[in-house]
This record gives sequence, C-alpha cells and structure tokens, in this order.
Amino acid sequence: MNDLMWIDIIAYVLQFMLIAIAVVVVLQKNNSTIVLLVVAFSLVVSGLYVINHAPDVAIAEVAIGAAIIPLIYVISISRQREFIVLDRAMDDFIISNNDFTGIGYVLLKRFTDYYHLELNICNDPGLCSWEAGPDKVICEKTNVDLIVSRDEEKGVYQLKGKESSLLMTKLAQMAEDYDDIEVHTFTERGFGE
Amino acid sequence: MSRKIILVAALGILFVMFFLSMEEMEDLFKNDAKLYFFEHGLDDTGSSNLITAILLDYRLFDSLFEAGILLVAVSGVIWISRHDFEERNAHFMLDKYKTPELFVTLSRFVFPLLLMLGFFIILNGHLTPGGGFQGGAVVATAILLLYYINLERKTDISLIVAVVKFAYLGIVLTASISLITRGEIFTNFMAVDAPTMSKYIYIIALDILIGINVALCLWAIFTAFLKEGR
Amino acid sequence: MNPVLTFIVVLIGLYGLATSKNIIKSVFCVTIIESGVILLFLNFANYEGGAIPIVSEDVAAIVDPLPHALMITTIVIGSAVTALALIICIKVFHHYGSTEWAQILRREDVK
Repeated sequence: MNDLMWIDIIAYVLQFMLIAIAVVVVLQKNNSTIVLLVVAFSLVVSGLYVINHAPDVAIAEVAIGAAIIPLIYVISISRQREFIVLDRAMDDFIISNNDFTGIGYVLLKRFTDYYHLELNICNDPGLCSWEAGPDKVICEKTNVDLIVSRDEEKGVYQLKGKESSLLMTKLAQMAEDYDDIEVHTFTERGFGE
Repeated sequence: MSRKIILVAALGILFVMFFLSMEEMEDLFKNDAKLYFFEHGLDDTGSSNLITAILLDYRLFDSLFEAGILLVAVSGVIWISRHDFEERNAHFMLDKYKTPELFVTLSRFVFPLLLMLGFFIILNGHLTPGGGFQGGAVVATAILLLYYINLERKTDISLIVAVVKFAYLGIVLTASISLITRGEIFTNFMAVDAPTMSKYIYIIALDILIGINVALCLWAIFTAFLKEGR
Repeated sequence: MNPVLTFIVVLIGLYGLATSKNIIKSVFCVTIIESGVILLFLNFANYEGGAIPIVSEDVAAIVDPLPHALMITTIVIGSAVTALALIICIKVFHHYGSTEWAQILRREDVK
C-alpha cells in the first residue's frame, strides 16, 4: 500500500511538471530554448508511460523523442539563423587588407545584424569557377541566398538574390546609399514546382 | 484580443465535453478483449510480450503500412532536400561546429554499448519490452553518434534507400509465407499446434527485418537533414 | 494518473498551435499534442492492479496491450511527420526569407 502511494505522488508531480513545461513552451519566444524544453518534455512523458505500465512505448519515446527529433529541430533552427553569401567577385569588395573590412562586408554585416542573422560568406572555388552557370541556376540548386559578382563594363558590384525573399527588399533599401552597388532580383520557379 | 477570447472559450467547451464523456472513455479498454490476449496470446503467436504479438501477428497490417509510411516519408524528405551539387558547400560549416573533445571520447565509449542495447532490444522482442521499432530507433541513435565522432563522414543515401526497399520486400514476403504453410496470409508460418520455441523463428526474423527498416529510414532522414545543415 | 490533467496538456498544445507566430513553433506544438494524446490513451488503458502486458506465471491480470501497440505506431509515424514538416520549413525560409506566418501570408503571390 505504501509503495502504491509513492507511485501516485510521483505520477502527479510528473503530470504537473508536464503542464508547466507545456505552458513555458507556448509562452517562450526563443526557438533554441524550446528545443531543450521539448527534450525535457519527452523524458518526463516517457517516465509517465512507464508508470502507466507501458515500457515498450517508453523505449520508443526515449529513443526517438530525445535523440533524433531534437537533432532535426536544431538543424532546421540553425539553418534559419544564417545568411549564405557566395562571393564570386574575388577582389577587395569583401576582404580588403586580409581582413573583413571591405565596403560590401560592412553593408552585409549591417543588414544581417538588422535581422539577427549570422553572416556566412563562402567562396567555394568549385562553385565560383563553375562556368556553365547563370547565377540563377546556382541559387536554385544550392542553399546560397545571395551572390556577389562584379560587372566589368559598368564597374559596379551586383548583389543577386531571389525575388520571392522578403530580405531582398530591405537589402535594396540599404544599398541605395552606395553608388557602386546594384541589387538585382530574379524570379525563382515557384515553391514546389 | 477578441479572437483569443473566442479561442479560450472554444477550448473550454472542448474541456467540458471531455469531462462529461470521460466516464464512458474510461470503459474503452476495460472490456474482456485483454483477457483473450492474456489467455491465448502465447499459444497463438509464440510471443510472451503481447505488444509484439499484436504488432507482428494479430495486427500485422498496421506494422506493414507503418514501415511503408516511413519509407514514403524518407522519399519525401530526400525529394524536397535534393541538391544537384553533392555536398559542394559542405566545408565551411565544419570548423564552426567542431565537437568538443570530451564529447567525441565519450561517444566512442558509448557507441558500441548503445548498438548492443539496440540489438538486444530487437532480438528479445518476444520476451522483454521492445521489438523491431524500438530497437531500430535505438540503433539509429547509435549510428547518429558516428557523425559526432567523424564529422566528415560521407553517406550514400541512395544505397540506404535501396537496402530499405529490399528490407520492406523481405517483411512482406516473410509475412506471406503463411499463405502456403497455413492457408491464411499475414500470420505466423509455423503450424498452430507447433511448440512455442519454433514459433520464435518467425517473430525474430520479422523483428530483425523491421528493425533494419526503421533504423535505416531514420538514418536516411537525419543524413538528409545533416546535409541540409552544412 | 488523472486523464483530466493529461487533457489539459493537449489543450495547451492546441492553444499554442492556434496562437503561434512562427512556423517551427507550430511544429513544436504538434509534437506536444501528439505526446499528450498518447499519454491519454495509456491513461485510459491503465487500471489499478494491472501489470505490464507480458505473459508469465506470476501475473494475474494485465493492462490492455492493444492501445500500446497502436501508440508505438503513432510515435514512429509522428517522427516521420515532424521530419517532413521541418524540411518544408527550411525550404520555406530559403524561398521567402522568413518563417513568420504573418509575413509570409501578407505577400501577394502566396494567395
């Protein structure tokens, strides 16, 4: 009888913990905090499964809910924090004096700070020297968000991004102050086509 | 603001309705069906664990289509995240997400234990809590640790999917043998009055195939995500 | 072991699903609702004096194993659904540059 009572108390404590975690998840704004809370939720709920005489379900919940689901959440959240720029210009627009002090870098840094994104500049030689490519094709087939290139005839730098992206309108606004920077957008094929 | 009030009111109505119908819901699983499982389960299927008995014998259609849905989900994930440049832009993320040395060492230590636990759960699905699905998930978690140990590991998703397809075919074929031996499809292929020990063969074989299916499907899913993350 | 307390978790999840502004947060709320529903089923199946559904000599009465088998199916399929939802989230961010419901739905080309 004594054992049974203890199990009841533990079950009620876990259930109130579950409600508390659920409330915090709903109120919390920061997604990375929610991942940890969901892991805690998953562990507490699997404890409740065991108390409900279902150890099989608890094993499945622990293995999937506490290891694989958080991983894919973390990846998809971290993907939404960064802004990938492909630098095809290859001169001092981004990197001058071996440091990130170029005029383009300052602009992009200001832009990503405005949206709390993480600037990720990539000059993968395989992609930059990829001849076949109009920039549109590269954007469609990889994760690149913005392509920097240099127009030799006009002597201006071109920033090219997707027309559908909300970020590009803001970038065009910010680049108006600079004379030698143009912002171009192109229409991607529709979502899911 | 008025929207939120309407929402809370709707949820309140839902709660009241649940509270009123709770008495009847509590009788939902309190009938005598479990007595049938308790008395005949071991003799019918050869599995002491009645959940495995239901998943692999009484309601095998459930498991078949569950494995099928997992396969469909994997193909959906791979189709949506397809890139024509294979891991071209992979290298610049690697140094940023460098795993701590302690974690790598611990992963090396835990990996074989976790793999062993997964195989134990799969192979003892008929005696202890567990079975193909849970064991497959644990094995997938063990495989996940390999990515922490060696970040530059390259995985061929198409090979995984090919193996999964054959494993799924194996599940369907193993389940269909009973059509020849017993005359009814999707049940144990040993005779009904065979000793319990010989019925283990079917349970273990199907558990291993389902374990392979689930583990490889989850592996393919998180490989697709890891490629997306780089 | 009170089904009412479990149902409150489901209701909180529903509230979060209806009010969340971010796509990923909606997926989080779906995960919570799913766990709550599973726990609800197990609560209904459980009763005092029932044992784990494994046949052995010293067990007199067991809980119903049928909902347990169904819930294992639910967990595995739920993980597949979450994975699909999240990969679509990533693609939406690439296409529209945002994952807020309001900002995406405000655009003309979505309608």
